[in-house]
Amino acid sequence: MAAPGIVWLLLCFVFPLYVVLCIVFGQVDPLFRTPIPVWNPLQWNPSQFSYVLTHIVGADGIFGPALVRTAVFVFTASSLCLLIAFPVAYYVARLSGRRKGLLLALLIAPFWISYMMRMFAWVNLLQNDGIVNKVLSFGGLFTVNVDWLTGQPVVVILGLVYGYVPYMILPLYAGLDRLSQPMLEASRDLGADRFSSFWRVTLPLCRPTILAAVLLTCLPMLGDYFTSDMLSASPKTAMVGNLINDSVHAPGRTGQAGAFVMLVFLVALLPMLYYIRVTSRRDEVAS
Amino acid sequence: MPEPTTRRQFLARAAILAAGAPTLGAFLQACSKSGPASSGPSLTIAAPNNPVKWPIADDNKPIADGLAPEKGATLKIYNYADYLSPEAVKAFEDKYATKVEISTFNDGDEAITKLRSGVDFDIYNANYTEISRLVNGGLVRPLNHSYIPDIKNVWPSFTNPWYDQGWQYTVPYTIYTTGIGWRTDQVPADVGAMKNPYDVFWDPAYKGKIAVLDDFHTTMAMVLLRQGITDINTSSEADLKMVGEQLSAMVKATSPKVTITAYNDLPAGQLGIAQMWSGDIINAQNYLPEGTGPDILRYWFPSDGKGMVDNDMFVTLKGGKNPVLAHLFINHILDPDVAMQNFSAIGYQPPQNSITADSLVNAQFIPENLRTVIVKPEYFDTGYRTLELDAANDAAWHNVWQTFKAGGS
Amino acid sequence: MRGPVAWWNDPWRPPRFLVGITAGYLAWSLLPVAIAVLYSFNNGRSRTTWQGFSLRWYWGDSTLSVWHNDALHTALLQTLKLGVITTLITVPLGVLFAIGIDRWRGRLPEGANFLMLLSFVLPEVLLAVALLFVLTTVALPIDLGTTAQVIGLITFQVSYPAVLVRARLATIGPQYEEAAMDLGASPLGALRRIILPMLMPAIFASTVLVFADVIDDFVLVRYLSGAASTEPVSVKIYNTARGAPTPALNALASLLLFSALTAVVIGFLVYRYLSRGDTTTKDRGIGAFAGEL
Repeated sequence: MAAPGIVWLLLCFVFPLYVVLCIVFGQVDPLFRTPIPVWNPLQWNPSQFSYVLTHIVGADGIFGPALVRTAVFVFTASSLCLLIAFPVAYYVARLSGRRKGLLLALLIAPFWISYMMRMFAWVNLLQNDGIVNKVLSFGGLFTVNVDWLTGQPVVVILGLVYGYVPYMILPLYAGLDRLSQPMLEASRDLGADRFSSFWRVTLPLCRPTILAAVLLTCLPMLGDYFTSDMLSASPKTAMVGNLINDSVHAPGRTGQAGAFVMLVFLVALLPMLYYIRVTSRRDEVAS
Repeated sequence: MPEPTTRRQFLARAAILAAGAPTLGAFLQACSKSGPASSGPSLTIAAPNNPVKWPIADDNKPIADGLAPEKGATLKIYNYADYLSPEAVKAFEDKYATKVEISTFNDGDEAITKLRSGVDFDIYNANYTEISRLVNGGLVRPLNHSYIPDIKNVWPSFTNPWYDQGWQYTVPYTIYTTGIGWRTDQVPADVGAMKNPYDVFWDPAYKGKIAVLDDFHTTMAMVLLRQGITDINTSSEADLKMVGEQLSAMVKATSPKVTITAYNDLPAGQLGIAQMWSGDIINAQNYLPEGTGPDILRYWFPSDGKGMVDNDMFVTLKGGKNPVLAHLFINHILDPDVAMQNFSAIGYQPPQNSITADSLVNAQFIPENLRTVIVKPEYFDTGYRTLELDAANDAAWHNVWQTFKAGGS
Repeated sequence: MRGPVAWWNDPWRPPRFLVGITAGYLAWSLLPVAIAVLYSFNNGRSRTTWQGFSLRWYWGDSTLSVWHNDALHTALLQTLKLGVITTLITVPLGVLFAIGIDRWRGRLPEGANFLMLLSFVLPEVLLAVALLFVLTTVALPIDLGTTAQVIGLITFQVSYPAVLVRARLATIGPQYEEAAMDLGASPLGALRRIILPMLMPAIFASTVLVFADVIDDFVLVRYLSGAASTEPVSVKIYNTARGAPTPALNALASLLLFSALTAVVIGFLVYRYLSRGDTTTKDRGIGAFAGEL
């Protein structure tokens, strides 16, 4: 019964990834410099892939900064997301009482507002004559000389946080909702104060939930390029997604785009494998 | 509880996979999409001192004379964004009772990839940096001149341009120069009077308010011109290395935006000064907020004409399904009234005989402070063109550009 | 009269700090969108200066409003078309997948499960680029355009219903099915008459989710689009926002928002109707709906 699904995934998910490999290790048409995939693994040519690898660090390291920047942006944004999402999810899941339904609806709302529209809304606000500058200048008292939309890493990080925080709140909410209240109350009964009860009981109990939520937010963020494009059209905030996007259509560099795709795939795969091992081990213990 | 995979099983599976892959490979080879084979070992590069008459393949003859326009069709145009007047398009739709659909691209490379993947556009806004690839790749259809009588309104030099002798494939669309545009309320200095106006891109005083064009050839050529190197299609390694270093220095000094939408950002106040095409600064007048007049806009281009001068053109595509309508549309655009209407909508000057510098200023079409925008025929003799680059050179140029766009090293 | 210290240390006090954070977050999250929707009713061309109320960007302006501008029309239609087609195929595919995997034991279903989770978490751009390569290099009868976009979207979204249904199946447990089979039903009959009705809430929740996610999708549909008629609203916003957008774009985005909201409200009402006898979800209202997620 699961056959159609499996077949679909194999055809449309696994096979395209193989095609990516064939293009990365394939050849380039000498005239148009479009990629020619080489289907037989025995004939694969690693020159494009090694070009990317050798240009990451060192004197020729042109890709290094973007990769490092991606790691920094994603890490910072994910941490900020967690800092914001956890208290909100905790409050709504456990402490909001009667207003839970309404608050939940408001929390879910960003899912149905187009991501593009949310970023677009911020572009409006951050324009030189937009509301943010108007507020910051206190209605004309100070002249704010900051161009928010030109190459400001802070703006891009905040944009990423803004965009992805709903994706973190929902799993956290679901997980925190399932925590058993009696266990938490027990720790208070046994004399722990608010803070250490939280630190020693609540947090460890929801560690798997936090892990899942972080993965769910962090990994898609790795491929983001449009946030940087919309909020700052500058090379100073280019992420690995921008590298992919810029080279996919560029003649002669499609193989490089494929190489980046492979790199991001590997980076995303490893935490997923770790997560699967952790959860399956947990299931084994539980059963 | 499932047992962990034993090593033997893993090896067995890996062996099967390894044995199966080449057969899979052979199978896929049979059904891979073989694109049009590249003819000849290298591209013929056209240049002003090396004019080229393109061959017309036997299976790519122009359409017959006197055909009726297709009925109930949708003409598909592939163009830059905001680069065709909606009124001109509507007039065409009404005249021939047809629909027009405009798709947009951001740069030529992206466009060619899409064209080669088989999307059936009818008309494409090309540039002579692509013409060789377009012809060699069998993407363009030769024109039947009997459908385009209005060519007589266009500057005579365009009926036999060096990039397409005998105008077999192309029709000129707009002419423009590449210079520097700015607004006086944010940039009080007289950039035009500076010794080397290109220096502004490295002047930290303009940090965060400046932009360069998101077009690798134009921006890198500007760096070459700044250093006084006039071969803006150079393949010299030393020159390209210098350009790379200068671009990094630019990022450090002024952190420029890289965009082709300065025609909107400059009047909106996001930018104070930008590398712009001449049409952009004219177009910018339309985007000024209410209360700000066009007298704050300025444009500089070398007065001796020794700067970048180019023209865009329309070609009809072989994959298009409406060739007659395509020809009629091209003719429509060459009509003087339509051309003027287009000019006022997009800001780029068409090479029409009826449009001269004096007529424009007298009709107050272009304000006196933007007189420098008007493209004079003499510029085409003294100016520099961004030409098509051969494969190896193109790769070298793109490498430098990629370093720049990846945030510099 | 209690002093301020006692007020602070009152053990029954509401968690003010958390309330503050939540309120602040909600404002930060929803205000920019509210402002964007507000400016879609602006009387002038600006998106930052309020120039009076008008509906011109919706249907008043004869060339630029959403009603009159064919390009924006087409974009809206394309978005809805993609949403409906993808949801219709994805949900049954995902539900079947989940039911099938759940009953199967062994390494193959674990591998399939892992594959499905992977397709869920991977950045969309990887899948988009991979599919683009396939379509441009392998001779398939499919070209870039709506078909390609639908295929890509299904692949990306199929894990949504699968995950939701599996979670619900885990909560339901095997006892109902076993009881039905003890009473003489065939496995397929038990599935059809017992399990599927119990899964209805999860199925509907996933339908709504998939639809909302598809109409918002950007990366896949952009890479796999053909001509401008296959560009949905999200791509239009991206293309135009970097140029010179008018508030018609705000109007378009607002229209999309309203249609998404309508879909959700309908989904929620249907969910309420379907689970009106279900004791596990009574009294939880919207919480139950979201609990399915």
